[in-house]
Parts: sequence; C-alpha cells; structure tokens
Amino acid sequence: MAMRNIPALIYSLAIYGFIYLPVAVLVLFSFQESRVPIPPFNGPSLKWYAALMADTRVTDALLNSVIVAFASSAVSVVLGFLAAYALARHKVRFGGVLQALLTAPLTVSYLIIAMGLLITFNNLGIPKSLLTIGIGHVVINMPLCFAIIFSQMGAHQANMERAARDLGAAEWQVILMVSVPLLWPALFAAFFLSVTFSWDEFIIAFLVSRFDVTLPVEIWSMLRTGLNPKTNAVGSFVFLVSVVVVLAADLILFRKKKA
Amino acid sequence: MQRQLPRHANSRPARSRFGGDGLRAWGFLLPALCWTLAFFVLPLAIMAVYSLWQRVGYKVVTDISVQNYTAFFEKSFLYESLINSLEVTVMVTLISILLAYPLAYILAEKVPPRWQRIALILAILPFWTSYVVRSYSWILVLSEGGILSNFLLDIGLTSEPVSFANSRGATVIGFVHFFVMLLTLTIFANLVQLPKNYRRAAADLGAGPIRTFIHIILPLTLPGIMVGAFLTFVLCIGDYITPAILGGKRELLLPQTIMLQIERRSDFPTASALAMILMAVVSVVYAACARWLKLDRM
Amino acid sequence: MKNSRILRTLSTALRRAAYGLPLAMTLTATSGQAADELNALVWCDHTDPALIQPFEEKFGVKVNLKEYEGTGAALAIIEQSQPGDWDVLVLDGVDVPRVAETGLLAELPQDQMPLDDVFDAVQMRDMTFKDGKMYAIMEKFGYNVISYNKEKVDPADMRDLSMLWSDKYKGRIAVYDYYIPLMDLVALKMGVKPSDITADILPEMKKELFKLKENSVMVGDVVASSTALAVGEADILVGGGEWAVSVLSAEQPELDWVLPEQGGMLWSQALAVFDSSEKKDLAVEFVKYIMSPEGQARLATSSCFWGMPANAKARDALTEQQRTALRWDEQEGFLANSHRYFIPDADLDGQMLDTWTEFLQH
Repeated sequence: MAMRNIPALIYSLAIYGFIYLPVAVLVLFSFQESRVPIPPFNGPSLKWYAALMADTRVTDALLNSVIVAFASSAVSVVLGFLAAYALARHKVRFGGVLQALLTAPLTVSYLIIAMGLLITFNNLGIPKSLLTIGIGHVVINMPLCFAIIFSQMGAHQANMERAARDLGAAEWQVILMVSVPLLWPALFAAFFLSVTFSWDEFIIAFLVSRFDVTLPVEIWSMLRTGLNPKTNAVGSFVFLVSVVVVLAADLILFRKKKA
Repeated sequence: MQRQLPRHANSRPARSRFGGDGLRAWGFLLPALCWTLAFFVLPLAIMAVYSLWQRVGYKVVTDISVQNYTAFFEKSFLYESLINSLEVTVMVTLISILLAYPLAYILAEKVPPRWQRIALILAILPFWTSYVVRSYSWILVLSEGGILSNFLLDIGLTSEPVSFANSRGATVIGFVHFFVMLLTLTIFANLVQLPKNYRRAAADLGAGPIRTFIHIILPLTLPGIMVGAFLTFVLCIGDYITPAILGGKRELLLPQTIMLQIERRSDFPTASALAMILMAVVSVVYAACARWLKLDRM
Repeated sequence: MKNSRILRTLSTALRRAAYGLPLAMTLTATSGQAADELNALVWCDHTDPALIQPFEEKFGVKVNLKEYEGTGAALAIIEQSQPGDWDVLVLDGVDVPRVAETGLLAELPQDQMPLDDVFDAVQMRDMTFKDGKMYAIMEKFGYNVISYNKEKVDPADMRDLSMLWSDKYKGRIAVYDYYIPLMDLVALKMGVKPSDITADILPEMKKELFKLKENSVMVGDVVASSTALAVGEADILVGGGEWAVSVLSAEQPELDWVLPEQGGMLWSQALAVFDSSEKKDLAVEFVKYIMSPEGQARLATSSCFWGMPANAKARDALTEQQRTALRWDEQEGFLANSHRYFIPDADLDGQMLDTWTEFLQH
C-alpha cells in the first residue's frame, strides 16, 4: 500500500490489529487440544471441528439460519420495492407520513421489536417457529430495503418507464422488464444487506423461537452449556464461509461495475 | 422524518390511462403497509397497553395504572440501569468516533483509490463472524490467563496476570470494536463525496491544513459522523448480548434489566414499561440529530 | 376491562387473518411438532448428546431440548407456550409441590419407577408425592457451597464462609447468579437457618450481599461462573460445588470444593411429565431411561455440569476417577450438614428477587 506517511500507516495497522485481534484468537484456539481455549496453545487438533460436524443441533441451526435469511430478505426486498415504486412513481396522499411510518422501525431497538412480537404472538396464540423469526426479520429489514431502493429511484428510470408505458406496456410489464433490471444493483445491495442482518440477528430469533433456532441462538446456548473450543470452531467456520460469500459477492458486483 | 426524504422532482408521477392512479399505488403500498401495521405498530401498541398493567404474584392484573413507571424512578436498580446504559453508550459513541475518524480520513485521502475497496473489505470481514461469537472471543483475549495478560507478562509490563474481562471496560471494548468499523464506513462515505476543490480553494485563500480541516472538512463530514453516531447509539443502547457476555454482571444495563424481567419473572408489564422508556430515550436522541439523518440515504 | 376487550377483538381478527394466509398455514404446519418428537424443558446437563442420543436411537425419536435456569424462568416459558407444547420437565426438587399445585404435572406410574434404588436422603417424598400420588422423581443432586483453586487460596480458609467477606480474598471471588441458594448461603453466614428467612432480615441480608459484591470480580450463570474459575478470573466461586469443578477434574485437578462449617445448600433436580403432554407413554420411557443406571451415569457426568446421580445403582456405571471427583463416599456427611433450598411465597419471592437485582446493580 503506497502510503505517504509513517504515522498514518502505524495508526491504520494499530486499528486493523484491534479489529482482527479477537478473530485471530478465536480461530487459533479452535485448534486447541484441551478443553479450555486460553493459552498455552496445545494444538493443533481438529477434534472440535469433528465434534461440531457431529452435532446435529448446530447443523440444523445453520440450515435454519440460511432459510430464514434468504426467505425474509426476499420478502423484505419485494415489499420494500413495491412500496418504493408506489411512493416514487405515483402521487399518494400522505406520502410523507407513509414514508416515515415505513422507515420508523429503523429507529427502534431490536430488543423492543422482539418483545413486542413476543407479547403479540403470545396473545394471538401463534406458535413460535422459524416463521415467527422470519416475520421479525422482515420487520427490521423491510425499512432498510425500502430506503435503499427508494433513494435509487431517479428520473432516469422514470423516463424509461414512461417510454415503455407509452409503447403500450402494461404496469406489470413495466415493473418486471424496465424497473427491476434498471434497479438491479440497488435490489441486490438491499438483499445482501438484509441477509447479513438476518444472519447475525440474535435477540428477535432468541425471543420468538422454540426448538427451531438460528445459528446465533444456538451459539448462545452453547455458551451457556459449557466452555470449550467447539464454540471457537463454530465461530471460525461461520467466519470462513462468510469470507467466501463476501468475496464472491464483491467479485460479482465489481465485475458488473466494470462491464 | 419526511422532510429529509429527497423530492423526486424529475420523476413526475405516472398518469395511468384509466386515471386510477392513487388506487393502483395503494395496491403496491398495501403489503408493506399491512406488514408494518401488523408486526410493528400493533405490537408497540399492545406493549404500551401492557406497560399500564401489573404483574402481581404469578398473574397479570389488567388495572390501568402508571405504577410500573413510578416504580422505575423509585427502585434504584431500575433507573440506575438506564444511567449505566447512557454512560456506556455515550462513552462508546465518543471513543468510536475518535478512533474511526482518523482511519476514515487516512483511507479516503492517503490510500490510492484502487486499494480503498480492498482496505474497506478487510475492515468489514471480521464482522462476519457471528456477533455472539465476537463477544465471546473478547473474553478469551481479555480474561486473566488470556492473550492480553500473557502478552503484557511477556514484555514485562506487568509481573502479575491481569484481567480486563467481566467489567464495564470489557463491555465498552466489545462495543467499540464493532462501532469503529461502522463509523469508519459512514465517515469514509462522506469524505469521498467531498469535492477536492474545496480544499484547494481554502488553501488558495491562505488557510493552513489544520484550519482547512476544522473549518471546511469537519463541518462537511458532520452528516457522516452523525449518521454513524446515531446508529451507534441506537444499536448500543438496545444491545443485550455484549454486556451479558463481557460485563460479568458487575452492573446491569437497561437491556439486561428488561431481560431479567422477562426471563426470571415473566413480568411483561414491567418489561414493557422499561422498553417504552428505552424507546423514549432513543426518540429524544433521534429528534436531536434528525437534521443530519437521512435514513433513506444510508 | 374495556381495553382488554379491544385487544381481544383485535387479536381474534388478526389471528383469523394470519391463519387465512396459505403461506402461514404451510409453514406453521411444517414447523409444528411431528409425531416422533419429544419436547423437554431441561437444565443444561440434559443437552449433552452423549446423554440424549442413546435414547433417540433406541426409540427412533427426536428429543427437542430447551434449557433454562431457575424455576421462575421455566414458569415464564411455560406461560408463553400452548398446552401440549411440552412433554418432560426438569425442575428444582423443592419446587415440585409449587408446580404440581398448578396442575401442570402428570402422575407418574410408581411401579415403573426405580424408587427403591434412589438414595434415601434425596428421595424427598414430601416434595414429590401429594395425596399418595407421585408427580416427580429425583434424578441428580449436589451442593451449592464453595469451589476454589487450591493452588491460589488456603484450603483451610474455605471451610469458613465468613472468610469470603474478609479483605483477604477481595477481588478473587466469583458469585453464582441464582438468588435462592446464594441468599440461603448468606443466611447461613449470618447464623440464620435458610428456612427462617423472612422479609424482616432482607435489609440485613442486603448489606451482607453488597459487601460480598465489593469483594467479587463477577457474577455469572452456571457456565460463566465456572469458566471464571477455570480460566483464572476468580479463585473462589461462591455457590459452586462439584457441579462447577468436577467436569474439569481430569484437566484441572487444582480445582476443588468444600462444604463450609456453617453448612451448605443441597441442590436437587427432579424429573416430571407434563399433564398436557400428548405423548405421556414416550415421556415416561424417557424418565425411565434417565433413571436407569446407564442414563444416571451419563447424566451425572454430563458436559455442562456434573452431579451425584440419585440412583445408587449408577455406582458401577461410573469410573473410579469419576466417583472420586463426585466424592461418592463422603455423601453421608455432606447430606447431614446441608439444607434444602428455602421456598419463599410469591410475595417474599418478589422481594428476594428485588434484593438480588440490587445486589447485581451494586
């Protein structure tokens, strides 16, 4: 990296060191031989990874997390897109109020949203399941998707849409064949961010789930049922998978930009 | 909030051939609106009602009263948890801004553009470990017998093992770790949008680098700081995991107190009242920073 | 109440709407309980695959486990569930009457339970029986006393509870976060029998707790507090016992535990079946498995925490080293010098919880 001055370089390295310190320790001690993941290091051993793969609770939770993240993000993007389309392209009464309402969940703590849903589901007698976690994740992600997509709906697309309409396209054709392709980067970004937030969300998943839990909740209960490097192993594994996904996503986006 | 949303001046509303424009727009809006009403507004309303009820013994009594709110001010362990939360959150926000700003500045100004993206990705990558795991990793670093203590022993800075875990300091470190990254991103995004010629103009007018920074750059990056700071505030004050794992219950923060009500007593009325208070605090902060926040432009 | 009626109307309307959604229908159906599953609300020692998997394989079923700490938490979870959600419950032995009174528990078939093999002193028939009917069976027990690192502290000091309040071990103490046994221990230190705790002594108790807090480095649940001891954060764990150190006995023999002269607290966990369970037969089979000598040995040495098996026949299923770590042969003396958890009424319970929360916040 061609840096112009030494203090800046040192400062950056220090911050990056701070950011990477816990991750490095996490990964290193996932290869610990003994039960306690603190120095001295007495590995390398793969036994905690073997234990991890044999634990169906963890693998189930992994799968649940993927399902919830993708399903809730898809719903969030579709609903967010439709709402953004309505408000950006049509004259709607009280449009400002509606925008405020749709983005309001962004300013409320997840804990409060989680509690509200828990009390509501209890009162309605709706059983807690992956579905209820998904509902909660749409509540937190839809406003984000709406905001991202709405901010990207510019005049350029509007002109194209009008042109299509003038040529006789029906509204659904305009949306599917003009708006969606034009907004592709925003839609992808919204989806990607939603998946990220859903993947890492704890408190909602914790409060509105029963046996079908997502990975963060499973990790939390692993922490509460015994200290051992298996927790390190699951964390390192998630990290590895995420790195691959992020780099892949970045490559796709970056190639698109260049093209 | 609506005042901050951009006017889509050029995107003239499409006139439907049938003139049923408003109706069709409502059709598009309805799914999102219903979702928000059913799973956001309704739960908050139910919670508001609950906060006026009481838990007596093992039952919920539905008499309307504000006693859960008065109890908040009467029972020291309740209001102290809000004070603790505010202290921790303010500390975390300030430290994170101070640490993140120089990094964002270096990334925006000193790093060649083609390296910037890689540097940013590198900064974000560690946050793709599950955040429950991240807090746990800090225990392994900070505890007595952990990495940090061993390192300090090795270089001779201390002769006895030291511990930084299970304390407010540990909670703050766990939080700062995440929010430095977040603030770096928002400030960086702001910095790269500044036209380069501002600085040249300032220099032409005889301003030194420090004066240029204080009078030109800093005010122009205030939106980036405020957006990041607000997000930090909201996410930090409502977080349960980090203090639960790192704080060692040496003191309780507000989310911990709320969870105690739910987990140990099933006292939803008190928990709801505490949640309402938390929401009020966040709303006040939101109102204070509203003019810098453009939530639709994150 | 007018408000609750509005709420009810709203909720009925919304429930109908929600159930009308085909998506909701399919998803709730698939996430609902299958016929070959057993739902158990348990302490963390039951989540060890080594304990559960043999049962799952033998009966070809899946056991869903949710762990909790403290009966209050269990009642909170049950309250947030629908009838039929749960089949098996693990709970504090002394809380059986309070839970049985609410009608939550089913009668157990006495002829199928190995009651005669359970240690006499932990049968607790006064707790598990009501009007000649059996509602739970004791499965595991141990002590909330003092665990410590014998390389870092003087073992002789650990026999006196009041040493924890002296300056000698300031900053070396971790406290187990469960208000009942801990406040009982404080009572013992004050010379009060746990069963004599009243609201009147709470202010005095609060002072003692605050002093203890000033001496301690952390307060934590089962794993957090035993971890603090294992990684050297603390050298003493108040409320600890075999459950906090035995699991590490092979790797960290320097961790030990002792019953102080003032006495200790006996913890006991019991196993029960829910009255609303739709799979009572399978649930009873689960209880029988856990109570069998093999099940008992696995439960006693589960990965979350160890403890004495209630069934004396588990002796031969345990190794010599395991029996030593559990102090199998010293149980008689321990039992004689320990007290059962004090069970406050709802009102006093609330006050004790408030005091405990103040202790956490101090």
